[in-house]
This record gives sequence, structure tokens and C-alpha cells, in this order.
Amino acid sequence: MEHELTWHYPVIFYLYLAGLGAGAVATGAYSFLISASNPGRRYHYFRMARLGALIGPFPIIIGVSLLILELGQPSRPLNLFKVINLSPMSIGSWFLLVFIFTSLLYALTFLPSFKTDDEALSKRLHRVQHVLSLLNIPLGIGVAVYTGILLGAMPSRPLWNSPILALLFLVSALSTGIATIILARSILHGRSDEAEPERRVRERGRRVAAKRPGRRYHETGYLLATTDLVLISIELLVIFLFIMFAHLTVGNLKYAMETILPGGSMSVTFWVWVVLIGLVIPALVELFTVLPRLLYNVPFEAHRPVEFLVSVAVLIGGFMLRYVIVVAGQITGPMGI
Amino acid sequence: MSDSMNTNVTTNTSANTATATVPQAVSEQPAAGRRGILTAIFASFATVLAAITASAFRSRASLADDSGAATGTAQRNKQYGMVIDVRRCIGCHACTVACKSEFDLPLGVNRCWVEYVEKGEYPDVGRSFLPRLCNHCSEPSCVYVCPTNATYKREQDGIVIVDQGLCIGCKYCIQACPYGARYQDPIMGWIDKCDFCIHRVSQGVEPSCVSTCVGGARIFGDLADPDSEVSKLIVKNRVTVLRDEMGTFPNVFYIAADHTDAVDTRRPEVRHVRVLTHRKDQTRR
Repeated sequence: MEHELTWHYPVIFYLYLAGLGAGAVATGAYSFLISASNPGRRYHYFRMARLGALIGPFPIIIGVSLLILELGQPSRPLNLFKVINLSPMSIGSWFLLVFIFTSLLYALTFLPSFKTDDEALSKRLHRVQHVLSLLNIPLGIGVAVYTGILLGAMPSRPLWNSPILALLFLVSALSTGIATIILARSILHGRSDEAEPERRVRERGRRVAAKRPGRRYHETGYLLATTDLVLISIELLVIFLFIMFAHLTVGNLKYAMETILPGGSMSVTFWVWVVLIGLVIPALVELFTVLPRLLYNVPFEAHRPVEFLVSVAVLIGGFMLRYVIVVAGQITGPMGI
Repeated sequence: MSDSMNTNVTTNTSANTATATVPQAVSEQPAAGRRGILTAIFASFATVLAAITASAFRSRASLADDSGAATGTAQRNKQYGMVIDVRRCIGCHACTVACKSEFDLPLGVNRCWVEYVEKGEYPDVGRSFLPRLCNHCSEPSCVYVCPTNATYKREQDGIVIVDQGLCIGCKYCIQACPYGARYQDPIMGWIDKCDFCIHRVSQGVEPSCVSTCVGGARIFGDLADPDSEVSKLIVKNRVTVLRDEMGTFPNVFYIAADHTDAVDTRRPEVRHVRVLTHRKDQTRR
């Protein structure tokens, strides 16, 4: 029997893209703050910050547009902003409204055309960036968490009605946000590579990679890969907790979780696409690339094809996570009548 | 060593501006990094605070209700409700048809429907009927999720209705309703549901499904009035509600309803269960 899904691809894409964009902006803003506080390593963090800020707003705007198109009448969503109530969707849409505005402003401050030799202007711009990044971190986290709370607010959907779902979506949002930054730099780096001056990077008192062009690219890659690795590990842990606590209970949640567990109708999609392709394989690849630098302080080599494939796999996994959760939540309901 | 230090202060113009800003930047830098972490912590606290406020408001509201009920002195508002005596239901779908024609509903949607529950294997078989409609719950989870306050429970009579002028058609309430009582209007895009025939009830006339019921299985009335027929029936009979564990406190009560569901085939004694419904979504109950 065919299930009629109330929320389908527009909503799934929206949950994914909003999380991704918010994750990219939030991690970008955080690395901007680090770059500002750490002039010695400013470069690595600043590139991340810039990519995250410039890319971040677009997935969110695309996702929101999908939602508005799904509603049919473009004027109708304006009703959302006549009230604030305690519905997760109401709070989330206000968060989104503010966040789209601030993240777009933030992206504008990073545009190359704003680069100027005027010292006073660039100083002021830096201050604006600083304030906006302080604003965008909580707002981005708020948007990413809200996508999980949105689903989790209803007892009638036992699979979603779990407090850890919001955390899962937040970690996945940050991880896909970083994957977007990795993907962008692996595609765009050709240009920026040549523009880099030769310089030496000192790491823990040890000289590494003197006079090697593109050293900064590798170092930023190391930073991104380790962060992504940590986030993926947390995500795996959260998924484990999510499944374990559902499986250990008796009743609606266990019944609903059976669709994801082996033997269920969505188990292959979940275990192959989300866990294997989206999490385990990227984590293993990143672990192997990062280990030499981590253990023996060997200069990190960022291979563009590897970076590209890993980030694409993480992005696919992030989407499939939203897909599996949204669909599995809707084809299951409370047991009995 | 000195070479690397020199490269930090390169001589092009952009680096000049950088060096100009560095001393000031350095002075405020450690604070900035800490501020980032603090902001992140603040964000999580803000979210937590919002959630706590939300639940506090809600529980306070329900507490107020409880105290009023406990003393019994407070003037209680009407709460319209229904008792469905399944023993009298013959599964004729007269209520379904009456509802469809009362509201001229589009194809494929129902505010009121009857499910047939078949169980067992020949020759030990059973069939019962389960008339369904919106439960007009006392804790309506559809109302709590509505982002625009478009759906609400009326103070004066406890009927849960949708204000189509405010509804944005986000279908959040469809997800939240454990009874599948809501649908999206295929023509207008807004959400609609059973409103206990509010236009008839406000004129003192019974809902359409009640007045058409051939066996008198549907009984409508004010649950807050102890002398009403529904209140007496609830007192005198063993009544059940649907999905009690959802905590929604439904106001539609069933006498002798068979709560068998497809999930009950896991029980050793139930061999075969088939739920027949003419609704578009066959799988959701």
C-alpha cells in the first residue's frame, strides 16, 4: 500500500538546505572570530570564514523558496509574521527571517569588491563583520536546532518525538556546512592557490614545508578535515543513542524504529546511504589522511579529489538522513487505535 | 627563524593595513575568541529558555483548568462532545454522505468516515465498525503546533476550528493530529476538518452526521452539563477514547468500540486483521 506523505521533497530539501546553510554560516562565523583573535593563524581560519559566509545564505534562501512554492500562494506565508506563538514553526520562521537578513549582510561584508585600501573603511568593515559573526553563531545554531525541534514537537509521530533528534540535526547541519566549505574550496582553489605568496608556517616550534606553494591550502584542509571528523564522530554517537534508546523502550517508538532497523522498509537506505556513505566512509578516509599529521606532525597533504569526494559523500549522507527521518516518521504512527 | 618572522610582515599594501590593525586587534583578541564560545553557549541557553517557557506556559494553563475542575464552583464553559454507541452502528456510511453533502466537500477528502475492522479466520471471524471524526480534544496537539494561531479551541463551546484566513497550509497540524482528522483542501490549499457543524450547533440544531444516523449511534451534547444525554451515557457505560496514550483528552467517546488494529496481528490469538476504509490514505488510521 502506498503511503501518502504529507511532507515530501520540498520539506526534506528545506530541512537539509536550511541546516546546511546555517551550519556553513555558523562555522564560518566561528572561524572568523578565531581568525580575528589569532593573527598568527589568521589565514587558515579566514578562508573558511569567507567561504562559509559567502556560500551559506544561498541554500537557506533556496530551501525557504521551496517551502513557499510548496504552500502554493506566495502571499500566505506572510501570516506567519502576524503573530509569535510557541509553535516551533513560528519561532523558527522568525529565526529564519532574521537569519536570512543577517547572513546576507554578513556575506556582503566579505565580497571582494568591498576590499579596499582605505584603512578607516576596512577597520569599520572588520568591526561590522565581528558584530555580525557574533550574531550569526547563535542564529545559525538556532535555525539548525529548530529544524529538529520542528519534527520533534508531536507525540503523534513517535519516531520524531525524541529530544535527541534536534541534536542530531544540529550536528549534521554543522558537518554538512563544513563539507560545503570543503567542497567549495576543492573546486575553487585553483585560483586562490596562485595568489598565495610563499611563506613558512610554523607549527609547534617545528618548521614545516618551507617555501612550498599551497602550504596554506593544506593547512586549512587539515583544519577542516579534523573538524569534520570530530563532527562525524559525534553524529555517529548521536545516531547510536537515538536508535539505542528507541530500541530499548517498548511501545510506539520501538515500533516506529523498526522501519529503520535491519529488516525494516527503510533500513537499506538508512544503513547504506546515511551511515556507510554519509558517515563511516568519509570518517575513515579523513582519519587516514589526518593521522600522520596528528600523530607524527608530518605535513598534511590535502588531495583535491579526495576532499571533493569526501565532502560530496558527507553532503549526500546529510540529505539522506533528512530523507530517511522525514519519510520514516510519516509512514509510522502510534500503534493501535 | 627571523626569515619567517619577516614574512609575517610583508610589504604590500594590504599587509600594511593589516599591521596597522594588528596591535589593536591583538589587545582585544583573546576576549574575542572567548566571546565566540560564550555566544554559542548563550545560544543554547536561549533555546533552552524558550523551550522551558513554552512548557511552563502550557502547564500553567492546564493547572488553572484543573483547579477549576477540582473545586467545581467555577462556571464551566460548554464542551461539546459526542458519544458513539458502536453497538448501534450498522456501517451504512449515512454520516459520511451527510457530512460530504453538508459541506459540499471536494473529491478525496472526508471530515467524517467509517472504518470497518475485520479480524479472524473463517469460521471464527468478526467485523465491527468504527465511525470517526475530529475528537475536539481538550489538549489539542494540532493547536499547539499551529504557527499562525489559525487553528484554535473555542472558549465558549470547546470546538476546535480552523480560521482559513490565517491558515498558511503548512500541514503541521496534519502531522500533529494522532487521529488523521485533518486534511488539506485540494482546491483552496488550506487545512480543514470537522467543526461539529458549527453553523447548525450554534442555532441549536444537531450536527448533520448525528441527525442522519439511522441507528442513533451518534449522540451529541454538552459534556460539561451533567444532565445532558452524552454525560449520562458516559456515566452509565464503559466508554473508551481513541489513542488515550497520546494525552490529548478526546471529547468523542465510544461505547463498545473494537480497538483492534493491524498491529494486533502480532498477538498470538489474532490471526488476521483487515481495516477497510474508503479514505484516500489507506494506511493511516
